[in-house]
Amino acid sequence: MNPLKGIISVPRRTMVAFALVAVLMGLAIVGQSYLIVDIVDRIFLKEADFKSILPMMWLLLGLLLLRVATTYWNGRLGAKTAADIKQELREKLLAKYTRTPVASAISGQSGEKVSVLLDAVDEMDSYYSQYLPKVVQTTIVPLMVLVVAFSYDLYTGLIMMITAPFIPLFYIIIGIMTQKRADAQLEKMTAFSGKFLDTLQGITTLKLFGRARREEQAIEASSHAFRDATLAVLKIAFLSSLMLEFISMLSMGLIALEVSLRLILFQSITFFPAFLMLVIAPEYYLALKEMGAAFHTGRGSVAAAKRIASELSAEERTVAFGKLELEADGPPEIRLDDVSFTYGESFALRDIEMKIRPYEKVALIGKSGAGKSTVLQLLAGLADPLSGEVRIDGRKRHDYAEASWFKRLSYISQHPYLYAGTLADNIAIGDLRTSSRAEIEEAGRRAGLAELASTLPEGYDTLIGEGGRGLSGGEKQRVALARAFLKQPDIILFDEPTTGLDVRTERLLREAMEELGRRATVVTVAHRLHTVRKVDQIFLLDAGSLIDAGTHEELLGRSEAYREMTKVGGGVAK
Amino acid sequence: MKELESVLKEMVSEKRDIILSVLFGVLAGITAVGLFAASGFLISKAALLPPIQTLAVLIAVQKLSSLTRAVSRYAERYYSHRATFTILGNLRTSFYRRLEPLAPGIFNKYRSGDLLARIVGDVESLQHTFLRVLYPPIVLVLVFLCTIFFVSFFAIEVSLLLLAGAVLTGFIIPALFAVRERRLARTVRARRAVLSTEVTELLQGYRDLKIYQQLDEKERLLAEASAAYVSEQRRRELDGVRNLSVNTFATFIISWLVLGLGAWLVTEGELDGVFLALLVMTSLTVFENAAPMAILPGFFEDSRHAAVRLEEVVSEERVQAESGMPEGPVSIVFNDVSFNYPGEARPAVSGVSFELPAGSKTAIVGASGSGKSTLLQLLLLMYPATGITINGTDARRIDQESLYAIANVALQQNHFFYGTIRDNLLLAGETADKDLLAALEAVALGHLTLEDQVFEKGENLSGGERQRLAIARLLLREARIWLLDEPTSSVDPVTEAQIHEQLLAAVKDGTFVLVSHRLQGLERMDQILVMDEGRLVESGTYAELMDARGYFYEMKQIEQAVLA
Repeated sequence: MNPLKGIISVPRRTMVAFALVAVLMGLAIVGQSYLIVDIVDRIFLKEADFKSILPMMWLLLGLLLLRVATTYWNGRLGAKTAADIKQELREKLLAKYTRTPVASAISGQSGEKVSVLLDAVDEMDSYYSQYLPKVVQTTIVPLMVLVVAFSYDLYTGLIMMITAPFIPLFYIIIGIMTQKRADAQLEKMTAFSGKFLDTLQGITTLKLFGRARREEQAIEASSHAFRDATLAVLKIAFLSSLMLEFISMLSMGLIALEVSLRLILFQSITFFPAFLMLVIAPEYYLALKEMGAAFHTGRGSVAAAKRIASELSAEERTVAFGKLELEADGPPEIRLDDVSFTYGESFALRDIEMKIRPYEKVALIGKSGAGKSTVLQLLAGLADPLSGEVRIDGRKRHDYAEASWFKRLSYISQHPYLYAGTLADNIAIGDLRTSSRAEIEEAGRRAGLAELASTLPEGYDTLIGEGGRGLSGGEKQRVALARAFLKQPDIILFDEPTTGLDVRTERLLREAMEELGRRATVVTVAHRLHTVRKVDQIFLLDAGSLIDAGTHEELLGRSEAYREMTKVGGGVAK
Repeated sequence: MKELESVLKEMVSEKRDIILSVLFGVLAGITAVGLFAASGFLISKAALLPPIQTLAVLIAVQKLSSLTRAVSRYAERYYSHRATFTILGNLRTSFYRRLEPLAPGIFNKYRSGDLLARIVGDVESLQHTFLRVLYPPIVLVLVFLCTIFFVSFFAIEVSLLLLAGAVLTGFIIPALFAVRERRLARTVRARRAVLSTEVTELLQGYRDLKIYQQLDEKERLLAEASAAYVSEQRRRELDGVRNLSVNTFATFIISWLVLGLGAWLVTEGELDGVFLALLVMTSLTVFENAAPMAILPGFFEDSRHAAVRLEEVVSEERVQAESGMPEGPVSIVFNDVSFNYPGEARPAVSGVSFELPAGSKTAIVGASGSGKSTLLQLLLLMYPATGITINGTDARRIDQESLYAIANVALQQNHFFYGTIRDNLLLAGETADKDLLAALEAVALGHLTLEDQVFEKGENLSGGERQRLAIARLLLREARIWLLDEPTSSVDPVTEAQIHEQLLAAVKDGTFVLVSHRLQGLERMDQILVMDEGRLVESGTYAELMDARGYFYEMKQIEQAVLA
């Protein structure tokens, strides 16, 4: 029933508490029935006076209070369990996502992940807050009622015992029947219910074609078709509750018949046990019916549980780091030593050898999917190779301390992420404590942001929204540059834009990279001819393999693939 | 309650199913009370050893009522759910009817893509308004009225007690909790929004956070946000539990009082003892109808919130344009046009002036964010702006739809519907199959058949295929003006050139505007408008601009330097 088995479990203590509450609830139900019957018996048959039943009335009140208290306690316990589990699940998912940077950085389906972390986890709530306590309760309470029935009237007990299995049995049979029918209808139902969203999404297109008004009828028709399809499935479910109702009614009727016949015809039972049976019988069947309903709730969480489980069991690749401090004077030498890497099926690198000397300018080129970005991830320490080593000054990269490594590195991507915060915050990314305002503004100026800042209402203190709304592609690129100017790194990994930015940003980008490169090693995933012409080394990748390396002139001389790639804009590069 | 007016309106139109479900709901409620009252009476009577016929009659009544109850319950469920889904359908159409005139401008206002999913979700949550919010009190009142009437034959005091109980559990307690619920639900939503932002930032900004060593801090913030959200959810849940407990307790107290009062009346000789069990059973059963009232506040708040949000979306006033599209070939003049998107401080375009003579072919170029798509949106009358005249008429006075009727438009995102290729092409109007096939051929989509499936949003097509299909759709339609926003950005250069050829042939002497990121194939344009940071920096023919060695020339240089 629960795909999260083995991933997360409810503490034993909680289960014991649920059971305890259920027992108390059972006691309250039985005691309450007992007292009501006794009071009626005394007043009605034994003609007792009102005062003599008063103590019992108070006791009854106490039991009613106990019943309410157990309901409350049960709910409270459920809410707490659900809250704990949800928090634990989120922490587990979070740890998973942050430990598996490759998945986050490369496959990057963040929408689905956000949805799992928010919605799927929330959907698990009812499983722990309602289903679980209900299952415990509906197992224990009917048993207690059954014991009472047997101890007062054997025949009632027998009727209860014989009829009880029919209810779950019926649920199972009907469940299987509806499932088939539901599966058959499901496709129809999703198609019909999707129509509304589909139309809304297409409303602009529809309007442009002058068709929007006509769609109203289509929405109506599909909504009604959806209704009919859903009702066809629901009808079976309703029929099953009808049958269950019949079973429990029939059973209660049997009990009533049995006790009244014995009361009048055979006079083998007195009013007290007979009435008691009548009062507790509904409690018994109610609990059984609730069990069925609870299963329904439980089934609703299964899909969510599956999504969570599949995220948590996804392949995990952690990136290892050590304790060694990186030496502080200038950029280190970086080597890729026979490095291979796979991720899923589509991202692969095979036996890559690269040596990048301090202050060298290096370009990675190749068709999309050749593995350029993956090399950049490996160089950055955002992923570990599957085999082979990344060596820094001759030592394995994972011998170095994480902070010491990342402190020296900047990664300038095509799509830098902007956080909800001020422009200054975004330039400093958390470096606010160590950099002064003057330094931030200087970095902004060097990255060509001064003019932008002056047009913003609050300058560097203007909030730039979630996801950097309000900034153009060129401006985002400048923010990324400003980050690097502030950090003054020894190693710069640069993912050059694939398409042209505005003329000014292009020029700025070129100048800024030149300036940044004066005191750093620069590795560029290159998309510009002028970039590859200037670098010290070009690594040409194809389908995950390094097929050639050298300077622009060398490669032009010997590589057909390189000549093909640099034959840009119709003309041949010199 | 005012907020739920729209749902109420839809309900009124579904009278038949609603009346039937109320009828059966009340019948089921009453027969349940009757059934348990009869059991109580039966057993009491039996204790007095009556003749067997009396017993037989009583048992028969009991069986009959249990049968009626079960069947009524079934009918109630059927009709109430039918009503619910019909109301959902009606809500959708009526909402669509109000939204349709506001599109497409409204979607630009809500730039976040989840607006639509939210609308769909909100409309869906309104479907519960009937079954979970409006229906239970109606049934409650009717069942209680009948029961109180019935009980008053035995003991008027007890019936008054039941009345008090009904008011307490059916109205006072739910109303109290509904007030709290609104506050709690608001906090839960606020906390959720915080968590959602944190999660998105962490996942999307992962790389930068890691390199700047801010990941641990962010993780901590996220765990905190999650804990805050979970604890608010828990508070809301606990309030629900409290509501249920208080409500249950109230019903117990009433039944307890009924028992005490009944017992007292019997000892005083004002009530026959044989009816005592009947009264107690009646009281215990009738309050079952108050149970749905405990979950009502939650549903009420959800419905209210959904209704308010939907109202916000469609309440926008739309200025009715008085004029249709002027006759004849289309010429457009922009005279010092500036425009800010709502809520944005910086202008998206400023001080732009140009002319599009009738039958001219124009390209608008510039970097991303330079304002070129904004110009197209203004041309499409998606926003009102001063300074635009179409065939001499102020654009603000022209009805959008009359322009669309003579325009062929391709946006960056074109929608495709779930269905076949044919369905999607026929959006352009009734056309013979051979023309449809010719259009596919013209955009190099000859490998597709008309029966091929198109998934929702065209997800099974590549970006380039979607763009070509959108153009095919346009080729089937006559138009006086063509407005295309990067229609071939995902198509390879060779195919692109071929499609441009087809397009220009189809446009004939229509006015043609092409927004383009790429600078290839613009040699045949009558004029090229060059945009940068919202301003028109240059304009002229391809040859003129290249000769001028200005902004366009430099853009061209950059483009030529981009590696294949």
